Amino acid sequence: MTQTNVKEKKFADLYFGQEKFLFPENIRANSVKLFLETDIPNNKTENWRKFNSKPIFDHNYKLGKKLNFDMSVFDTLSFFEPESNRIVLTNGYYDESASEKKTEDIFIGSLKNAEKKHKEIIKQHLKTKKNKNPDYFSVLNDAFVKDGAFIYVPDNVKLEHPIYIMHFIQSDNGNIFAQNRNLIIAGKNASFKVIHTFHSLSSDFSFNNTVTDIFLDDDAQTEYYLFEGEGNTAAHVSNVNISSKKGSSFKSNVITFCGSVVRNNFHAEFFGEHAEIDLKGVYMPDKEQQVNNFIDISHSEPNCKSNQLFKGLIDNKAVSVFTGKVFVARDAQKTDSAQSNQNLLLTDYARAHSRPQLEIYADDVACAHGSTTGQLDKEALFYMKTRGISEKKAKTMLMNAFLKDVTAHISEGSYRDYVNFLINNRLKGQHPESLCNVKVCPSC
Amino acid sequence: MLSIKDLKAEIDGKEILKGINLEVKPGEVHAVMGPNGSGKSTLASVLAGRDIFKVTGGKVDFKGKNLLNLNPEERSREGIFLAFQYPVEIPGVSITNFMRAAVDEQRKHKGLDPMKASEFLRYMKEKKALVELDAKLEGRAVNEGFSGGEKKKNEVFQMAMLEPDLAILDETDSGLDIDALKVVANGVNKLKTKDNATIVITHYQRLLDYIVPDIIHVLYNGRIVKTGGRELALDLEKYGYDEIKKEADKQF
Repeated sequence: MTQTNVKEKKFADLYFGQEKFLFPENIRANSVKLFLETDIPNNKTENWRKFNSKPIFDHNYKLGKKLNFDMSVFDTLSFFEPESNRIVLTNGYYDESASEKKTEDIFIGSLKNAEKKHKEIIKQHLKTKKNKNPDYFSVLNDAFVKDGAFIYVPDNVKLEHPIYIMHFIQSDNGNIFAQNRNLIIAGKNASFKVIHTFHSLSSDFSFNNTVTDIFLDDDAQTEYYLFEGEGNTAAHVSNVNISSKKGSSFKSNVITFCGSVVRNNFHAEFFGEHAEIDLKGVYMPDKEQQVNNFIDISHSEPNCKSNQLFKGLIDNKAVSVFTGKVFVARDAQKTDSAQSNQNLLLTDYARAHSRPQLEIYADDVACAHGSTTGQLDKEALFYMKTRGISEKKAKTMLMNAFLKDVTAHISEGSYRDYVNFLINNRLKGQHPESLCNVKVCPSC
Repeated sequence: MLSIKDLKAEIDGKEILKGINLEVKPGEVHAVMGPNGSGKSTLASVLAGRDIFKVTGGKVDFKGKNLLNLNPEERSREGIFLAFQYPVEIPGVSITNFMRAAVDEQRKHKGLDPMKASEFLRYMKEKKALVELDAKLEGRAVNEGFSGGEKKKNEVFQMAMLEPDLAILDETDSGLDIDALKVVANGVNKLKTKDNATIVITHYQRLLDYIVPDIIHVLYNGRIVKTGGRELALDLEKYGYDEIKKEADKQF
């Protein structure tokens, strides 16, 4: 295969290098073929409407190298608790020396390495996306991904501290393309939290294409916090696929803080009754940032509950797109599904697209959805000002209150404090770029 | 303290206030009464600085300053307080944080340092007791889910916290039952000193049984058409606004 075979020549580097790919060659060949046949999402691709992929394809990339990770970076991330389990990846490669396992009962580490030790469980859960949601970026990931994080929390294991998956982009020279495939498996009645963060340690442009597959067995409870903190010279596509079995509870909270173009895809499906999936998110794009949250929840089983709450503050000329698809199968009676997307436009140029899409075939269900886009409440502003509160302070308080609906649900204290710290500084006028720069201590 | 001269204001090109004259001195309680649509609430809003109303003429002097040149927050810091007819619900902003921000701004204006958290909470507790606000405020958002009575009590509580020189109560009695009315009036009376003043805007004289005014003005069609003592309110209660309306209509 030559460089010119690769579509758009963007990801040419993928074909070279000595490292092994995640998927075996015989499976991967199909993915490569499928990738070459798959169109780049454009405005006519239904699920990608209003998504502008131009910033991604405007650049040429090379694969990042496996670099020595500077451990002092942890000091600048105030949410980080050293006593917690962590998996560190730089430029998509597992960094063994920076990662640490603190708990005996669980298995964490490199997905590629885990293949030998956990052959059965990997075989059962690690699949290519050729049959399901074969979008361009998932297929790209299938074809060329080399490694990622692996978390397996066996039956009945309950963790007090969160497990971190931390991705760092670090360029020695040039634009970096990084991919990873993460696999999170919660055994029966297991309970834990994952804090999944993305940071950039350099200012070159980067593109991170991530797929995270999460499996919850019966009665498992997982909280999943996704933090997008790569700089504004980063593009990011995150595919999170959730499979929930009977009685399980999955709660996620995605904070999109930085990134020139960010797409968060959540595909969730129920595989048992009385399970619950709760997806929340906050995004606050500035300048010409583009944030795109795409949710696709499939109620294929009865008596399940899903909830979506996404709130955005859109500043300057930034654009946000929210798509919330809920599918309720004919047999999925007593489905309880709620969806809410609320946007505050801070300038006349900011844009928010909100697309609720409900497809309901069962007749005994409760499916609510709501979407609002507007400006700050002028009555509330006036009321606050008549108490002596300055306009700026009043606006900050109202915006904070607006986002609190989502951030207050973050149950991990140090991480919640970190998010609130960033939000407060952002609302005070500090640009996300400087806040996301992990090399600068944000509290100094 | 407050001197309003020939104040005119309009909204969307429609003139609402057609030349108001009013003098308020420290220690005084004024009542502004009048039929619906006479401009009572507009007067309150214009004094507080609501920008949907355009002032087209006249002067307002407050403690030697041109009030009309100040924005709402500056007016508040100078000592004007408006108790809203319809207090605004602010979901997500706790009363504690709201009052904290307001008190800090007022103190900053006076050149004082912000209160310590413990000191502030004690201050809040004290004022709550003063205005007989028994509702638990901690953790609740401003006015959110409050009953009509609670909202009005909360306005008086805020007034107690901010200790204004001039309080304007815009139809504070509307929607209150007699018990809540007494509590609200009691609070206002307790906050009264020889140095501050109150303007009570009301449609009914009922509130004036509890907050006793020194001077009563009748506002009709954008003008103060009659000014008198307490007996004026009793006459209005007895005979209604019709006589005054007729007289005024002849005049203008």
